[in-house]
Formats: sequence, structure tokens, C-alpha cells
Amino acid sequence: MNDNKLKTLSSITSWILFLLFLVVLVNIGEAPTMPTESPERLLLRNFHIAMGSLLFLCSFFRAALWLILPPQNNNSKLPDASYAQVHVLQFSLYCAFIAQGISGILNAWWDGLIQFVPGVDTMNHGLWVTVGYLHSAFSFFYISLILFILLFRIYHMIRYQVFSLNIFA
Amino acid sequence: MKKYLKTAKKRHWLLIIILLSTSFYLPFHYFGVYPFATKINLPEDAIRELTSDIYLPDYYESTSSYQGALPELTEEQRLLEENAFKNWDGGKCRFCHTIKSDDRDRMAPNLNRIFGKPAGVSKNFTYSKALIQQRESGLIWTPETMDGFISNPEGYIPGNRMRVDGIEDAETRQLIINHLLRESK
Repeated sequence: MNDNKLKTLSSITSWILFLLFLVVLVNIGEAPTMPTESPERLLLRNFHIAMGSLLFLCSFFRAALWLILPPQNNNSKLPDASYAQVHVLQFSLYCAFIAQGISGILNAWWDGLIQFVPGVDTMNHGLWVTVGYLHSAFSFFYISLILFILLFRIYHMIRYQVFSLNIFA
Repeated sequence: MKKYLKTAKKRHWLLIIILLSTSFYLPFHYFGVYPFATKINLPEDAIRELTSDIYLPDYYESTSSYQGALPELTEEQRLLEENAFKNWDGGKCRFCHTIKSDDRDRMAPNLNRIFGKPAGVSKNFTYSKALIQQRESGLIWTPETMDGFISNPEGYIPGNRMRVDGIEDAETRQLIINHLLRESK
């Protein structure tokens, strides 16, 4: 596959990631307001697992594409160091989604919500608590990364007149 | 990739490490959750010893004054009590607590037969120092102490990790206590 095709594929994956992220964000905002055992809550939880898994797989794919063809600084106004700053944050964002996906899948697995081997009891309260904590911690991590990406983008607009609000590279 | 790694400076990675470290602290800070569950906080014998010198009624016995004082359980009353315990605009208790004896533990202790138990003794939960101190000072969960606690958790036991706003409405608190009394029977 040539560089142009890889670039297009990377761009499409980034857009899919952005849309999936928005869907999951609305889902995590809405779900806690529903009573825990209500059918609506169960539906939102299953939807969360499905969309979260897709987000995880897309992030994994996007990070792999990044390693093959990392984004290049095509803007002459933006110094390499400033460009690298945002891109370290953006690459970490994909890594955060991957970590979030792994902890989320383990959380659902140790909660007995998903089963990889039918009939095997995988419920484990201690492990569920630990990965649940990690899942929450990685959420704070990607929220802080997004905030810092936006802050750097605004700084670059003011200082270097480079206009871009891309969160996902 | 090589060019990218060359241009990334130590300070760029330092920011990532700071953000990651802060993120690991935030679930504890905001939600009061703890990354490890303690299987057993106190053996059964030690729990019994904490209450051996105190007269406590059996709050769940159908002949007890507490059960006798419960309003008649109509469908409307049952829904009111359940919603006060479960819903977002009620006590939100069910988001972290379970109540039936065969319910699985969630992020906070199971509240089955909580009345008459000393504070900080449930299984599968790592208690805050504040609650362990309360246990040592002899706090026993009764409908009255529970009412005081859920009306203002931080004011009642400063430093505890149930980081929710107190329930100001006395009627909602009573509905929650009724639900705890009924559902543990």
C-alpha cells in the first residue's frame, strides 16, 4: 500500500474514531441517570460494551497505522517541537483508548457480562474492582489529553497562526 | 517514526507522565473508590464481640417495633421506597450498594441486614480510616444513625469515602430506611 492510500486510510479511521468516541461519550453521560436494573440501563450497558469494543479495535488499528506512517509536520509555521508536543498527546490518546478498551473488556469479563469460554465462571470481585478503577482512571487520562490537545491547538493559533482543532490526528 | 521520536522532547513525555499519574488519583478523589477490595474486614467472632454488651432489637423480626411501624406495603408505597433507594433523583444508593443476601457486591458494601451491625465490618470493601475509627468508637448502624449519616455523610463521619451529597428531604430518607428494613427480611 502506498503512502497516499495509507494517509487516506488513517484519516478515515481517525474520523470513525472521533464519531465512536462521541457516541460512547453520550452513552456514559446518559447511563448513570438510569436506575441500575432497568431495561434501559441494561440496553445502554450492552451498547457501551459494543461501542467501546469497536473504539478499542479502531484505536488499535489507528495506532498501528501511525507506526507505519506517522503524521508529518507539513506546516512551515509550526516548529517541529511544538508539532511533536501535540502529536505525543495524540498518540497517547490512542494508547489511552487501547488501555481503556483492555480494562473495559476485563471489567466486563470479571463481572460475568461477557464470556470467552461458555460455562466457565469468570466472576471475580477483587479483580473487577481493580480493573474498574483502572477503567475510570484511563477515562480521566483521555479527558485530560483531549483538554491539553485543545489548549495546545489554541496556543498554536495565537502564537504561530496555525489553525487546526483536530483532536484525533 | 524516527523523525517523530527525534523531535519529541523529554518535557513532552513528562507532561504525559504527569497527566497519567494525576488520572490514577482522580477516581479516588472524585468518587471515593479504591482500587483494591479487602475480602474480610473483621472475623464474625470479632463482629459479634463489638455488639455483645449492647442491647439491640432485631430490626428484621416481624414482631419488632421497627417492622410494626412500617407503613402498609401497597404497590404505590413499594414503588416509592424502591425509587427512593434506586433512582437518580432519589438516594442513588443502588448505583453502588446491593441489598439482597444473594446480591453480588458492587463498588460499596452490601446492605443486607445492615441495622444492628457495627460500622465498617462488611466483606469485599476497603474502608476509609474514618469509618474504621467509627467502628472502634462503637458506631452501630441503626435506623437513627443511618438517617443521620445519609442526611449529611461528610458532616456525620468526616473523611468517609461515600462522596455523595446528603439527602435533605426527611421523607426520602425514611423511604430508604423502610426499603432497607423490608428488603433484608
